[in-house]
Amino acid sequence: MPKLRLRAAAPAALLAVALLALSACGFTEYPNSTFNHTTDFNTSIDNIFQTLVFWGTIVFVVVEVALIVTIIKFRKRPGGPEAKQIHGNAALEITWTAIPAIILVLIAVPSARTIFETQKPAPAGALKVQVIGHQWWWEFRYPELGIVTANEVYVPVGRTVSFELTTKDVLHSFWIPQMGGKRDLITNKTNYLWFTPSDTLETMAWNGFCTEYCGASHANMRIRLYTVQPAEFEAWARHQARDAVFNPAAAPAVPVVPAAAGAPPAAADTAAGWMYPAEKLPAHVVPQTPIPAGLAYDDALLAGGDAARGAQQGFLMGGCIGCHAVRGVPGAVSNIGPDLTHIASRHTIAGGLYRNDGPTLARWIKNARHMKPGSIMYTIGRGEYDPILKTTQQAGLDDRQIADVVAYLMALK
Amino acid sequence: MATIAAPTHAGTAAASENTGIWSWISTVDHKRIGTMYLWTALFFFLVGGLEATLIRTQLMRPNMGFVSAETYNQLFTMHGTTMVFLAVMPLSAAFFNYLIPLQIGARDVAFPRLNAFSYWVYLLGGIFITVPILFQIAPDGGWFGYAPLTTTQFSAGPNIDFWVIGLQILGVSSLAAAFNFITTIINMRAPGMTLMRLPMFTWMSFVVQFLLVLAFPPITVALVFLLFDRFFGTTFYAIAAGADPLLWQHLFWVFGHPEVYILILPAFGLVSEVLPTFSKKPLFGYNVMVYSGIMIGFLGFGVWAHHMFAVGMGAIADSIFSTMTMLIAIPTGVKIFNWIATMWAGEIRFTVPMKFAIALIAMFTIGGISGVMHSSAPADLQQTDTYFVVAHFHYVLFGGSIMGIFAGIYHYYPKMTGRFMHEGLGNVHFWLNLIGMNLTFFPMHFSGLLGMPRRVYQYDAGQGWDTFNLMSTYGTYLLVVATAVFAWNFIRSRSTGAVAGNDPWGAATLEWSIPSPPPEYNFAQIPEVTSRYPLWDLKDPAKTAGIEHSHADAMTITDAHAVPVHEETERHTARELGIPMPFPTAKPLFTAVGMVVMFSGLTFLRYDMFAVAMTVTIGGAAMLIGGLYAWLTAPLE
Repeated sequence: MPKLRLRAAAPAALLAVALLALSACGFTEYPNSTFNHTTDFNTSIDNIFQTLVFWGTIVFVVVEVALIVTIIKFRKRPGGPEAKQIHGNAALEITWTAIPAIILVLIAVPSARTIFETQKPAPAGALKVQVIGHQWWWEFRYPELGIVTANEVYVPVGRTVSFELTTKDVLHSFWIPQMGGKRDLITNKTNYLWFTPSDTLETMAWNGFCTEYCGASHANMRIRLYTVQPAEFEAWARHQARDAVFNPAAAPAVPVVPAAAGAPPAAADTAAGWMYPAEKLPAHVVPQTPIPAGLAYDDALLAGGDAARGAQQGFLMGGCIGCHAVRGVPGAVSNIGPDLTHIASRHTIAGGLYRNDGPTLARWIKNARHMKPGSIMYTIGRGEYDPILKTTQQAGLDDRQIADVVAYLMALK
Repeated sequence: MATIAAPTHAGTAAASENTGIWSWISTVDHKRIGTMYLWTALFFFLVGGLEATLIRTQLMRPNMGFVSAETYNQLFTMHGTTMVFLAVMPLSAAFFNYLIPLQIGARDVAFPRLNAFSYWVYLLGGIFITVPILFQIAPDGGWFGYAPLTTTQFSAGPNIDFWVIGLQILGVSSLAAAFNFITTIINMRAPGMTLMRLPMFTWMSFVVQFLLVLAFPPITVALVFLLFDRFFGTTFYAIAAGADPLLWQHLFWVFGHPEVYILILPAFGLVSEVLPTFSKKPLFGYNVMVYSGIMIGFLGFGVWAHHMFAVGMGAIADSIFSTMTMLIAIPTGVKIFNWIATMWAGEIRFTVPMKFAIALIAMFTIGGISGVMHSSAPADLQQTDTYFVVAHFHYVLFGGSIMGIFAGIYHYYPKMTGRFMHEGLGNVHFWLNLIGMNLTFFPMHFSGLLGMPRRVYQYDAGQGWDTFNLMSTYGTYLLVVATAVFAWNFIRSRSTGAVAGNDPWGAATLEWSIPSPPPEYNFAQIPEVTSRYPLWDLKDPAKTAGIEHSHADAMTITDAHAVPVHEETERHTARELGIPMPFPTAKPLFTAVGMVVMFSGLTFLRYDMFAVAMTVTIGGAAMLIGGLYAWLTAPLE
């Protein structure tokens, strides 16, 4: 019966692939793997999972082998033995009730222990980070450090970080697969999650995702988590806690040249504080979302962008402050959209969907709703079609004014 | 039962072997209703499959752009909703309808007109919830419809309206059917058909009916809250009014988890008919199979919060629900081992239904093992809402329910139509289906554990998921081919299949003692049952002589009209035999239309069309009440 053997081989081969994948989850190949022992949380989960895989494999092999042996051995053959009319066997049935029960005890005990271990309150001295979910981006606040940022979160290695999770609207779920399990953001409720990135970790960037379906752009609600060395974290935090480095009142300030098309923002200078160096970003955290067709912008305009003009005429008078805060700028205090105080020190925009560079920012300002389904940020470019209101923007900013706003934002290091 | 079983009554019924369209619309015959369930559910299975194919095409490669985010969200919502409520549940219902009366030796279900009503409500509810996708306004809140996303604050369009009203309508159908089958199984069994002699399919169906009756009230409550929030401005889920969104989740999963067993137990029942037949052996450990089915159903109500390990219920709740969930593995494991033991020392014939039944054991085992993996709450925190879970429940629902239902279709097709399905095409279907299913769903274990979230319409390249997604999509295309082969075989074999007799497979239960397809009255003479395997006792008494179940029953019921189990080969009409049959009537259809119209009036409310809403609702209500009045005042037979 070659057919039967083929079927026997298929799941066995797949299982072999599974075990191979488990044992050899190369970081570069599988950058969001749940198997790397990068934190205490992740390690306890993976230990449980290995136990589950161990028993699961045994059960799988026993059942499938028993099944295959049975159907081969007792297939009807000419002249073969007649079927034996057995109707049951109490001893056997008790055995195969008891054995799984024992296996389950061996799984249940460590599971319960890990549940209690990982849900203890975070140890004293943990770094507090408030995570606030929005459709469809993440707000991160460090209440002890006076930092507000979006979509990108920095944590020092070797120190426990304790996340306090809330949401402004619908349910979301906070998950960085390499750091450990997920926790939902529940409306009108505060949840907690903590882990300690191993102090042996190098400075590295990790992906995170929203894992509770939250509407049109659920797929576009991503997180970048940077595990950095304590000194780097200090440098980053010190700068992030400052007011905006570009003050429109003191214009004209340092001329700001927007980054060339397609390139990530230039490496931060000392005045801009420390940020995860763009040139060291691993490929898996660099957004690749293509800008949808039908959104035209002349990138040549960006070179002529005037940051001071962008701040005055665009940011302050063009309506941006209705939603966005820039610390140090009077009136810019709204927290409907992401805080832009240090927007140029972030590598991504739009919930981690796009790179943060001049050309992308310009298009984003021009028509965010064209670039991200359901976006609350309305279409600003003059003459642009707003896919949600289903009207054409009659007022708004022209491409020249958008270039100024981009110049201003790129100055907010 | 007295009226139906008594052949002395003069034949007053006008039942005929009419096959015109009106005969289908007005039918109250459980076999015809079962057939309509089967065709309708298979149609919705194709719709759900098409939605899945579009989903997989979008996910074939990173950042694909084949459909928009909004369309994708409608597709995955409708794929889940369609497969659960419009395909798998009604496919099971098709078998409940067709088989339960035949297996217990009855001439119909307890309430034939209520049975027709259930079907029509299902059909109309299915249309109501499905048609919006043609206009891109289909439900888009996921099949689980979590509040507050589904409240008007976050879903202002009509999309969710169709979902909440549609599910409410479908719930009426399920509940009506469940009460009908419970009454049927308790009251309509042939003399001597004690509970512990019921065929295993009927037993598992019996358990499922109780699950339906107990599981639908919580979701009905959840839906009523949402419906009132959306249409009448209540604040059950309004976050600004301080609502706790976990209210929805608890109510939904108290329904949602038993629902899983509602989907799988009928398949278990079908397989428990197929395996003994083609092993030429009685089911191993009948009693334990019954008890384990009851245990699964019972425990199924105590594990709902394992869908909620990430919501922050606290360590104690997590531990309890973890452990409860693991317990379910025990009765399920017993079933698997007992099935294997059923085949052990048998004479196994590898017919198409047998292959599907064996595949169920092999594939469901994988789903069961991954199920135990996320019963452990800490492990689940990494797995929940990733493709690992998608892999798990497709091994359970496709590898379990669908495999079992295909086994059932190939097995009972000769009974329903009098002809076999083509064996060669059946084999092609089986192998493509098995390979396609594994190619589609096995790679999802990896993409999930390697970090891919569910319900995303796009993802970046280089995340380690590309190959797995490509494999899954190719697997889906293979399943499309497999399903096309099945559809061709299913349709064509009705006229070209080899003719099957009463008992083409050498099976043991009562439904095989009557002609194929069965006459309208099922049994000319109600058989008196003395064993679990009446046909084997009759045809090969030596085979079952040593089996305990066959001993004479001290409590044997003697019924004046019952005769010993026998084969019926002649076809008559009910009129010739003087068997009273229920009158055909379209009143259940009329009543069902009234109910659906009444509900659909609600959809106008949110668009300042109060007059239209009231007109439609009151008109529908009038139809419903009028239909019910006419129905309840008309004699059954």
